[in-house]
Amino acid sequence: MNGPVYLDYAATTPVDAAVAATMAQCLTIDGAFGNPGSNGHDHGARAHALVEAARAQVAAAVGAVPAELIFTSGATEANNLAIFGVANYYRAQGRHIVTSRTEHKAVLDPYRELERRGWRVSYLVPERSGVVEPAQVLRALEPDTVLVSLMHVNNEIGVIQDIEAVAKICARHGGVRLHVDAAQSVGKCRVDFAALGADLMSVSAHKAYGPKGVGALLVSARRGVQLEPLQFGGGQERGLRSGTLATHQVAGMGAAFALVTADSARFEAERQRIAALQNRLFRGIEAVGEVLRNGDPARCVPQLLNLSFEGVEGESLLAAVRPHLAVSTGSACGSASNEASYVLRALGRDERLAESSLRFSLGRYTTEAEIDRAIDAVTAAVRRLRAIGGA
Amino acid sequence: MNYSDLTRRYFETARAAGVLSGNRVGRGAAGSRRGGTWVQFDIELEPAPYPERRIAAARFLAFACPHTIAVAAWVAERAVGEVCAAGLPESVHAISRRFEVPAEKLGRLLIVEDAWAAAVAAAKLRVTM
Repeated sequence: MNGPVYLDYAATTPVDAAVAATMAQCLTIDGAFGNPGSNGHDHGARAHALVEAARAQVAAAVGAVPAELIFTSGATEANNLAIFGVANYYRAQGRHIVTSRTEHKAVLDPYRELERRGWRVSYLVPERSGVVEPAQVLRALEPDTVLVSLMHVNNEIGVIQDIEAVAKICARHGGVRLHVDAAQSVGKCRVDFAALGADLMSVSAHKAYGPKGVGALLVSARRGVQLEPLQFGGGQERGLRSGTLATHQVAGMGAAFALVTADSARFEAERQRIAALQNRLFRGIEAVGEVLRNGDPARCVPQLLNLSFEGVEGESLLAAVRPHLAVSTGSACGSASNEASYVLRALGRDERLAESSLRFSLGRYTTEAEIDRAIDAVTAAVRRLRAIGGA
Repeated sequence: MNYSDLTRRYFETARAAGVLSGNRVGRGAAGSRRGGTWVQFDIELEPAPYPERRIAAARFLAFACPHTIAVAAWVAERAVGEVCAAGLPESVHAISRRFEVPAEKLGRLLIVEDAWAAAVAAAKLRVTM
């Protein structure tokens, strides 16, 4: 392929061809196009069977049981359902919530809204490594804390949080509910909902070679967490998420999750392949000098590499590599404000360095030749911009 | 962010990037790296009587966004052969339209204007000393 090298797999992944084929079988007159809620005829029953098969596939992939799974339109909706659902259901018990400053906007913005509605939210500041120490969570808990939210794998730097330790703290603290945003986790590291000990976990299909527009919220059956629904209608998904399920999306998610997790040996081989490519990318780019790595590499998934470049303006860096690379920047450069990444700022990077950062995210189709093209493109761009900038 | 063809062309080529030296060169800068935008111009004047002195060469350096780099490059390139004047060849608003610079970035073009004015003042001072 002659176009820009795609290194933005953390933003989204292409749909696996086998997944697309599964989805296509749910759309046309000769396929499973029926309403999965219409159990009075074969068309509906066929779609219902595909939905339940997908439910079993997703549950198996993340260490859950099928009954714990609620399909949603994606991780954002799952996060909203978890956060508002718990906050509303348990509001008589308390109005305090704990989260971290490096969560995704799909978690932080619901908390901003809850603050407007009178809840108190404690925002933990991670270590420079990106890690939220479990002791920080313990110190933040208050008698009326009803929920803790922490992401599993950070979407910008790839750091994996110690969810199991946090879950134990929550359990000891009167059973404070723990919500985990695991949108980036599936396919990048092992995910075991039961072993993590969380009450709620959000997952997304399109980060794992499934379709956009579908995700799920896992609600622990063992721990008995309760939610208030956010939308009402047909009572689908145990009344927690009304609305006709999109059979093709759900089937696609099931197929995608099954593919990325079914074969342990293949999963580990792929993880090692990606780790080698990521190391090659880092060593190659590092040679340009004054490159800082964001996040503790010992705690990060190999798919993500986040680097800050001294002496380079962020928007220009992204513009310079754009003809050659599809990557994300450390700044919200979609706007003219060029706002620095709040995640990198929370880790202590100054505003300029946070802006002059690139997130490289590798995936299934990344090749060694692409990594070498990326090294050449970034090196040339940084050298040129440093020269223009008089650095 | 998407950029106009003109912005991309000057950002990608930036032929006038660099510095000048010599006793007819004036240097001026504005903005700051910490603030996210810094621009410097070097202007070399032809050895002719003041005030008709024309610009023999101009160079720029910029720690800045692509729009700012493109505009600084354009200013430096088209200045050669022109009478040395404190103002930019066009108003900041006209330049912003020419390069399709978002309104939020107009302040950065004012930094280009300030750097140019400072360089012109420095160059004129050099030749009158």
